[in-house]
Amino acid sequence: MLTLLVLTPLLGAVVVSLVPARRRELHLPLGMALSAAPLGLAGAVFFSFDVGEASFQMVEKVVWWEPWGVSWQLGVDGISLGMVALTAVLFPLSLAVSDSISHRRKAFVVAMLFLETGLIGTFLALDLLLFFVFFEVILVPMYLIIGVWGGKRRVYAAVKFFIYTAFGSALLLAAIIALAVMHASQTPEGLLSFDFLALLALDISPTAQMWLFGAFALAFAIKVPLFPFHTWLPDAHVEAPTAGSVLLAGVLLKLGTYGLLRFNLTLFPEATVSLVPVLAVLAVVGIIYGAVVAIVQPDLKKLVAYSSVSHLGFVVLGIFALTSAGLQGAVVQNVNHGLTTGALFLLVGMLYDRRHTKQISDFGGLATPAPLMAGFFLFMAFASIGLPGLNGFVGEFLVLVGSFPSLPSLTVVAAFGVVLAAVYMLWAYQRVFTGPVEGAENRKLADLTPKETAVLAPLAALVLLLGLYPGVLLERTAPSVEAILDRIEQNTDYEAPSPGRLADVFATASEDES
Amino acid sequence: MIPAAFPEIAWAALAPELVLVFGAVALLLLDVQFKPGVRVLWRASVVIFAVSLALGVWQWNAATPDGEPIFGGMLIFDRSAALARLVVLGVSIQAVAAARSLFAHLGNRAAEGLALVLLAAAGFILMAASQNLVMMFLGLEMGSISLYILAGIAGDGVRSDEAALKYLLLGAVASAVFIYGAALVFAGTGSLDLSGIGQFFARSLVLSPAVLLVGIGLLTAGLSFKVAAAPFHVWAPDVYQGAPAGIVGYMAAVAKVGGFAALARVLLSGFDSFRPDWAPIVAGIAALSMVVGALMAIISSDIRRLLAYSGVAHAGFILTGLASGAQGSSSVWLYLAVYTVQLVAAFSVISVVGGAVSSGSDLSDYRGLYRRSPFLAMVLSVSLLGMAGLPLTTGFVAKLGVFLSAWRGDLEWLVVVAVVASAMAIYLYLRVIVTMYMRSPTSEDPVLCDWPTAWSLGAATAVTVVLGVFPQPLLKLVESAVYL
Repeated sequence: MLTLLVLTPLLGAVVVSLVPARRRELHLPLGMALSAAPLGLAGAVFFSFDVGEASFQMVEKVVWWEPWGVSWQLGVDGISLGMVALTAVLFPLSLAVSDSISHRRKAFVVAMLFLETGLIGTFLALDLLLFFVFFEVILVPMYLIIGVWGGKRRVYAAVKFFIYTAFGSALLLAAIIALAVMHASQTPEGLLSFDFLALLALDISPTAQMWLFGAFALAFAIKVPLFPFHTWLPDAHVEAPTAGSVLLAGVLLKLGTYGLLRFNLTLFPEATVSLVPVLAVLAVVGIIYGAVVAIVQPDLKKLVAYSSVSHLGFVVLGIFALTSAGLQGAVVQNVNHGLTTGALFLLVGMLYDRRHTKQISDFGGLATPAPLMAGFFLFMAFASIGLPGLNGFVGEFLVLVGSFPSLPSLTVVAAFGVVLAAVYMLWAYQRVFTGPVEGAENRKLADLTPKETAVLAPLAALVLLLGLYPGVLLERTAPSVEAILDRIEQNTDYEAPSPGRLADVFATASEDES
Repeated sequence: MIPAAFPEIAWAALAPELVLVFGAVALLLLDVQFKPGVRVLWRASVVIFAVSLALGVWQWNAATPDGEPIFGGMLIFDRSAALARLVVLGVSIQAVAAARSLFAHLGNRAAEGLALVLLAAAGFILMAASQNLVMMFLGLEMGSISLYILAGIAGDGVRSDEAALKYLLLGAVASAVFIYGAALVFAGTGSLDLSGIGQFFARSLVLSPAVLLVGIGLLTAGLSFKVAAAPFHVWAPDVYQGAPAGIVGYMAAVAKVGGFAALARVLLSGFDSFRPDWAPIVAGIAALSMVVGALMAIISSDIRRLLAYSGVAHAGFILTGLASGAQGSSSVWLYLAVYTVQLVAAFSVISVVGGAVSSGSDLSDYRGLYRRSPFLAMVLSVSLLGMAGLPLTTGFVAKLGVFLSAWRGDLEWLVVVAVVASAMAIYLYLRVIVTMYMRSPTSEDPVLCDWPTAWSLGAATAVTVVLGVFPQPLLKLVESAVYL
């Protein structure tokens, strides 16, 4: 089933590429229809997922490059489940808003579907080399999406994006090779292996852990992007077409946080524990820096882009809090940020399609001509700020609650990020949508079309659902998160501070009852 | 030991090379006697290569992993020599198929050109199969002299003459360095036979190996020149830029195969016991080549110079595999087999876009190539992405193989240099792809290529992608070519 999930978008890409380029009206609807298949499969995976099971499920393994021990191995657990579902949700929606792609539309749809295969594959891969292959291959369609269909400085942004991430993954490859060779020297058969589950059993010296952790972390920190590796992000976002921005913010950045959580914490527990201060400080710097820079942005798309730097800082902080709540918050916030920021980029794109400008100062009072759009924007802005009842609150609250026991002072600083988020989001809303309408173009601005509403509505529904009933996600992530913490506690002398573990929380709850 | 009687000749083992050499002679005679058209000669040479390749495939099964010395121990067709033969013949067919327009341009010199191509292939195959340093030198010269002439064969303009002269002079110096190294090795061991040298070390204690070390160093330097590894690479950009575009890819590819095969044989089979002495030097040359090649390629604005410098970087990657000792030899072969196909494909595209002879190959000519010929742009992109080592191309498999064996050979620092250099190299390949796909063209005229070129390019692209996703057969093939 997982193989099918990975390969259906690729098959879709093949189908679309067979449609003649002249029939341009067919490409987008066909692409949307075809991306419904992985969505259905992802839904099936989500609901057939065995709640309460910590290990990987639905594992499939086929030997691929036999002499080197590379296998096609896929599996899903609580950490990847949400990301796969998010990816599958965002693709049809971003294809639906790509009417403004005017040239080489067929190639665009093919690139998008190819990208979807790469992203889903990255989240599901249980073989490190397979993971790396997907992780790298994603660069090509994303590079094309930015570089061919982007804005004015698209080539610069695309090349910058490619170079940054390629540099990061170069050392990742070296580290993966090191692990495979280590496997060969530590097993009696002396065979290379890239199997994640087999590599977990390796005995890695503390020094080696530090180096390997560094190589993995650098690749993922660039992807997240963690301060100070974030400079590619605003360029890429601003130049990318709407669909590109949505996927970049919604899914691509999560590869970084996902990688940290999946590989760094489990493969290198000792290095993780000793490097917590470094990464947590970088995360908090990112939270505050991203927020402050977002406040002063004159460009709406750049504002949302910098807000991503800030929000993903929370995710990284949650990861390196090394507590149940923090990790849970990180996993959930990964999904939440994809939904809200994805929706915000969609809205910015809709504004841009109407006015061909993203400068905040060009707008004003748009709530009068476009009340529906204003409503959605405000809703998503509140979700992004973390208003209780919406999904952002669940994630950020869990992160802060989880990181306070282990990193109290940093948590206090990070909490200001929430306040700053309110400043930049609400101030942007105020300048764009409230006040008197100025300019003829703004006055005549068309409100959301039914199609655009139909694109935003599912996202809004998910935002509300995850805000009111986060359990649907949390119950699936909890066992996997606990397993990671167990692993760290078993392999190091680290002990999660009380009340850092889920068990602590339940213990205090039952004491209260008695 | 020299046998008294006339040595028994292993005709079958040498059949592919005999076909090449007699084919070359036949082409020349045919040309003198009947003056057939260029197309007939070109077709005949493709047939000769195909027959030779068929015989080579047949001989593959006859070649044992360790090989049997033939011609009194001069040659040995073990698995790695048989593999070198397949690679050389494969890329020869690929290159000659795409070079019909070059030979058409040469007119009455076409027969000579084709004969030289055949002889060069035979020379480098023999070089790869040499078990004796003198035989290796003969193969090297047979191949190199053919290439010197090919570099200047179009004879139109200063560039071409400069390229040929430069290649000849520097190449001659490198050959002299090589033969001097062979002489010193003979002085140190009393043998020119590589297995004899190996046996000498097995039974003698060498107290002062200075003369030997110098000999090994000179052999390595001479061969490093042939494969264009830094700091012996300075001829490469000028030659790649000046020689006829239709044949540059071929020249670079076969010289690399022959050179690396010889280097592997000398270092891994003759002087394996000196690995602690030569490995740091080879690793140093490898690191320097990767870094210098990538940096110089980034600042080149001519696509041929760019590919020449990137070839220097690739020589560095291959040396990385070599430096890791005998267990790395299969990764060397994997890399050679993969890279030569991409190299020849890239130069075939260049010869279509810029003309088979002309030396104009500025990067700006490639602006918007996508609109002028989507096929050529696609082929060049796949070749370049393969060279960049992007996953799902054979280039990634090859790089991974080299890195794995280097890490196993305790050259961790070299792997780190290599991954950083390959990340830098991505930028330069990307620059060409950006130019082709994202810049507006200077002219809208479509670029057309003839059908043999199209077939050659299509096959190379298919190989690069299909074997990139399913490299299993390739891995099995090269695994049998290890020196153990």
